[in-house]
Amino acid sequence: MADTHLNRDVLSALQEVMGDEYSMLLDTFLADSEERLSQLHETGDAETLGATAHSFKGSCSNMGATRLAQLCHELEQRSKQKPLSGIERLVGEIDGEFAIVRPLYEAERQRSLAQSTTVQRF
Amino acid sequence: MSIVQPMLEALTILIAEDSAADRMLLSSIVRRQGHDVLTAANGAEAVEAFRQQRPQLVLMDAMMPVMDGFEAARQIKDLAGETLVPIIFLTSLSESEALARCLEAGGDDFLAKPYNQVILAAKIKAMDRLRRLQATVLEQRDQIARHHDYLLNEQRVAKAVFDKVAHSGCLNAPNIRYLQSPYALFNGDLLLAAFTPAGDMHVLLGDFTGHGLPAAVGAMPLAEVFYGMTAKGYGLAETLREMNAKLKRILPVDMFCCATLLNLSFQRRSVEVWNGGMPDGYLHSIASGERTPLKARHLPLGVLNPQAFDDRTEVYPMALGDRVFLLSDGVIDTCDAHERLFGVERLQQVFAANRDPDRLFEEIDQALRDFRGEARDDVSMVEVSLVEAAQLSPPALVYSDSGQSCPLDWSVSFEFRAATLKRFNPLPYLLQLLLEVHGLRAQSGALYSVLAELYSNALEHGVLGLDSSLKRDVSGFTRYYQERNARLDELQEGYVRVHLQVTPRDEGGCLTIRVEDSGKGFDVERVMARPLDGIRLSGRGVSLIRQLGRNANWCDDGRTACVEFFWEALA
Amino acid sequence: MSVVTEVSPDGQKLTISIKGRFDFAKHQAFRESYEFLQPKPDYFEVNLKDATYLDSSALGMLLLLRDHAGGENADIRLTHANADVRKILAISNFEHIFDVV
Repeated sequence: MADTHLNRDVLSALQEVMGDEYSMLLDTFLADSEERLSQLHETGDAETLGATAHSFKGSCSNMGATRLAQLCHELEQRSKQKPLSGIERLVGEIDGEFAIVRPLYEAERQRSLAQSTTVQRF
Repeated sequence: MSIVQPMLEALTILIAEDSAADRMLLSSIVRRQGHDVLTAANGAEAVEAFRQQRPQLVLMDAMMPVMDGFEAARQIKDLAGETLVPIIFLTSLSESEALARCLEAGGDDFLAKPYNQVILAAKIKAMDRLRRLQATVLEQRDQIARHHDYLLNEQRVAKAVFDKVAHSGCLNAPNIRYLQSPYALFNGDLLLAAFTPAGDMHVLLGDFTGHGLPAAVGAMPLAEVFYGMTAKGYGLAETLREMNAKLKRILPVDMFCCATLLNLSFQRRSVEVWNGGMPDGYLHSIASGERTPLKARHLPLGVLNPQAFDDRTEVYPMALGDRVFLLSDGVIDTCDAHERLFGVERLQQVFAANRDPDRLFEEIDQALRDFRGEARDDVSMVEVSLVEAAQLSPPALVYSDSGQSCPLDWSVSFEFRAATLKRFNPLPYLLQLLLEVHGLRAQSGALYSVLAELYSNALEHGVLGLDSSLKRDVSGFTRYYQERNARLDELQEGYVRVHLQVTPRDEGGCLTIRVEDSGKGFDVERVMARPLDGIRLSGRGVSLIRQLGRNANWCDDGRTACVEFFWEALA
Repeated sequence: MSVVTEVSPDGQKLTISIKGRFDFAKHQAFRESYEFLQPKPDYFEVNLKDATYLDSSALGMLLLLRDHAGGENADIRLTHANADVRKILAISNFEHIFDVV
């Protein structure tokens, strides 16, 4: 029941699919995620909050950030209820979780770049 | 995870997804599966990309900025028209309401996030199968529509050819009324009418088995026989034999033609009827109001071989104004919404309720409409009235020669003996011979009528010994003709001699016709003493000869009849 | 099955029973019921007890059977026809060329 921060199986499947573009995928995800996080902080209305959380949830699940996806799901559900209490705390948790997984992704990115210079491709 | 081998052709797939990372990932997955990829970051871009590039399949994120996936899906489906462009929604939506929205917007399937490659490949394959199925259906529909157009055109051509063959008919004569759909021909319905050289009228209402061109194709040879023989002066029996033999020869075994034939004689005030397989016709007597059914006593044309064919006809007297009404089985077979037939009883009810004979057609047409709710296109009806011969103007015969070579001074004699009298009608041949003389052509009608009367008097009253007074009334009429056929079948001896002589006179000429028979003769003086009248059913033959020809006289106790025709110089 | 056939034990007689509407839809089944029988039977019966209706294509099919069975010399009986079917056979005068029993 303990959500994983980063699902390694998903990552290796991603690498398999993306091939040379794996690192670019990771970069894109990280850039996307930062943008979404700012949106979460800035936005005031419940609907946009819910939509952004929903969108972020989707990407996270694709990229194997299981716990992060779960938090986004909670935020999405909470944004539909009135009153909007405890929202800031959830956003804070999401910040925190991202802070944990981001270096993990960066490390993964480094690893894959290093790998590509040493492993002979056909 | 192994690459999923593409088992289908490479598709062009549009991926509409606002998250860059997801878009990148999905593009890679789809490319790896062997397809070409187009991308869009929002609904509006997706619609534009579709409009420009027409991909075959769309993967659409539901929640997008600018224009969401639902609206984009609606617009893309609109643009696609009849072509099926499958749209697979990409969604983490699990609420049923949101899923319902996807379906409403025209989505064909869903793919949940996180993306599963195997499931995606399976869904793409399934959607592609549907897409190709739809494309096949549309192509076949178009093919069918094209073929249908060809068929319609073929029918138009066939009908144009047929109309040229049938043009020599007299359906527009003032004593004929008819109702027929313009495409009756392709339901196998045939209606023909033509004058004989004597001014009588032959009418045929026919119904070929089958529909479409096979039914229509038999009509052309039949029409040619009908018109050709009628114009030459052949009687109903001979024409029927030829038509039957022709159809038997050319049609496949399971095709035939039901038909009713009429020979209406304005001079003799009678109608001769042959009905093979058609519904009852009706002879309506205006004076008594009675309708005599003309029942089918014969097999349809084209079934029996010539030896077995039965050409016996029935003859009924008619008064001025009497009508014969024929109809095809499209009338009887008209069904209502509960599959009940209109039937003969309802038709009889319309007859019974009819007060004005001139409105009968409208009343039947209306009754059919009331019964069925709409018109059928294979209902054929014809009504032929007996009118004064003078009211009709048969067209003049058209001759194809130049008139330079013409026999002016000759004679010929024939003796037709028992065996010939039974099975051969010499009149068309004799008429053709006489029409070689140009001066006689203007009188061909009178000529034929007189020849026919002389011959039938010689045969029936002379050789067969029939008493013309039998033809006093309707039942007598029937007995007379039955007796005629019976005696002719048994005939062993006897003859009819015909002698024709053409001699020049001043600038014109003279034709002398002499007809002798081997019979007992009759009391010439008594018959000649009767006034010339055209009203009695019997004995009118002599009056006719005296009116149409010149110097008619009988000698040798009535066994020999002579009559002359004259003509002036031609202009 | 709306076209049912039965061959007599000695192979000399074929009985074809028609059920329902005797129309063009039965064309193929009817033909196949007699076309390839070897040796050819001497007598044929078409049992119309359960036939509700007969149209001109059915008349055509009967003519084909007659042609197959020897034309003028064919021995074909049409049996147990109901009133409607009898009427159609009467109008077309098919009783002149088939034994309607």
